Formats: sequence, C-alpha cells, structure tokens
Amino acid sequence: MPRYRFAVDIQFKDNVRDPRGETIERVLREEKRLPIHNLRLGKSIHLEVEASDVEKAFHIVRRACEDLLVNPIVEEYEVRKL
Amino acid sequence: MKACVIVYPGSNCDRDTYHALEYVGMKVDYVGLNDELEPYGLIVLPGGFSYGDYLRPGAVAAREKIAGEILKAVEKGKLILGICNGFQILIEMNLLPGALLQNSSGRFVCRWVHLSVSDAVTPFTMYYTRDEVIRLPVAHGFGRYVKVGDKVRVVFKYLEDVNGSDERIAGIASEDGRILGMMPHPERACESILGGTDGLKLFQSIVEFLRRESH
Repeated sequence: MPRYRFAVDIQFKDNVRDPRGETIERVLREEKRLPIHNLRLGKSIHLEVEASDVEKAFHIVRRACEDLLVNPIVEEYEVRKL
Repeated sequence: MKACVIVYPGSNCDRDTYHALEYVGMKVDYVGLNDELEPYGLIVLPGGFSYGDYLRPGAVAAREKIAGEILKAVEKGKLILGICNGFQILIEMNLLPGALLQNSSGRFVCRWVHLSVSDAVTPFTMYYTRDEVIRLPVAHGFGRYVKVGDKVRVVFKYLEDVNGSDERIAGIASEDGRILGMMPHPERACESILGGTDGLKLFQSIVEFLRRESH
C-alpha cells in the first residue's frame, strides 16, 4: 500500500482571540521595529497516510481532522499534499 | 452510592478530589482508563494536565476508551463532575457546549477568586443560594470560556475578569443539570487549613442529591 504525506494547517477562526499570536506580533513590531500586523499562531501537523490512492488518503486525513486534530468550534484547517 | 475519580495520565488533582469526596462521607474509588463506570453514581474527572495538554487540553483524554464508559454513564443519568482539566475533557467530548481557550492574558493564573452561584438548583449546587458569593482557587492556563449559542446553563461566574471568559463564565452544566464542568477547584477549598471551605457545599450537595434520589 502506498504512503502519502500531508500537512494539516490549523488556524483559529478570525473572531477567536489568540494571545500567543498577539504577544509575538507585539515583540516583532515594538522591539524589532518590523511593520507586522495580524499575526496568528496556528499549528501545522505533518503525517503519512497508507491508502490505495491519493483521494482515499485525503479522505482519511479529513477524518483525522474531524475526529481529533481540529476543534471545529474555534478552528479552521487546510490539508496540503506534500 | 459510590463515587469514582478517573485517573488520566497527567491528572494531578485526583488525590485532592478523592480526599474531598471521602471527607463528605462518600465511598470513593480511583478508576483507570480501562475500567468500567457501571458501579458509580458520581463520576469525577479531576484537574491536571492529561497527556500534557498535547494538541489541546483534554483533547486526547476525550478520545480514550473510558470516554465510551462516560457516555454510557451520561445515558443512565449519572452525575458527572469535571474540574479544571476535567471540564476541558467534558468540553472536548461535546458533553458540554463551547470551548476553553488560552487565558486572554496569555498567562497561567493561580490564585483565589470570587465567584457567584448563578444556578443553585443543580445536584451540585443545591446547598448554595442563588447569587451567593463564594471564594475558590483557580489554577489554569486554558480557562477562557467561549460561548457557542445561547442555550448555556451557567452555574458559576467570576466576579472579576480572571481569564477573558465570555460573560465571566466559570462553570456550566448540561441542560438537565447532571453534568457540571468548572474551572475553579472546589476540592481545594473544603477545609479551613487549606485557606477556605466554600467548596465543601458542592460535595455535600452531591451527597444529599444522591441520598434523596436513592429513596
């Protein structure tokens, strides 16, 4: 069975406050004097899936997102093939 | 009626909770992830850092085998209490609505706070009076309650902004009141030597509720 490699990018929804992101943004702007705004700290999960074809592999990754990796109440995600 | 405290890898308030339950006269067992919950009328998910808060606090614990046992217990109408990390696990299991995110300050908050009792008719709060102000300790980094929808049964509210929670919500119950999740630690406030006794009535309420129900 072939293996496919994916990245799952998880980000807070726009209306959810992200204190870590705010702190990092503040340091970059106020201490490092860089013109940076709207920094959001998300997660990126890389994984490999065993599946007969890439479409089935995508499907399995989405199931993993729905079952555990993502909290749909406050987070959004994107699946990328690597 | 017997109570149990679920011990997850990373629980660290299990012994305090066990002690508080025993202190009010309950028979208590510790249970592990492969145990059955059938014998218990009260199931407590204690505070701590189950699975090191990997991914999201409570996320991994909420998908353990014991979660199936908890769901069975909910169907049977047993009382479920989640304190701190236990509350996070109940939220991750979708047994209570909303989400618990990092405190808006970005900092871990560990101190005594004042709360008001918004709902004094749950099995957990019947010894309190409505709007009674009590003092309990909090110790959490991820306690910012985000409300989803309007149908939330609020049981405790902070009197001040502790973590950025919507409406200063500190604890909520299921619609039928049989599941309670709260960020503050009542088990750490049952004896005056610990600095306060306002948590005691929560455990006494449970004992009295179960006593009445068994008659």
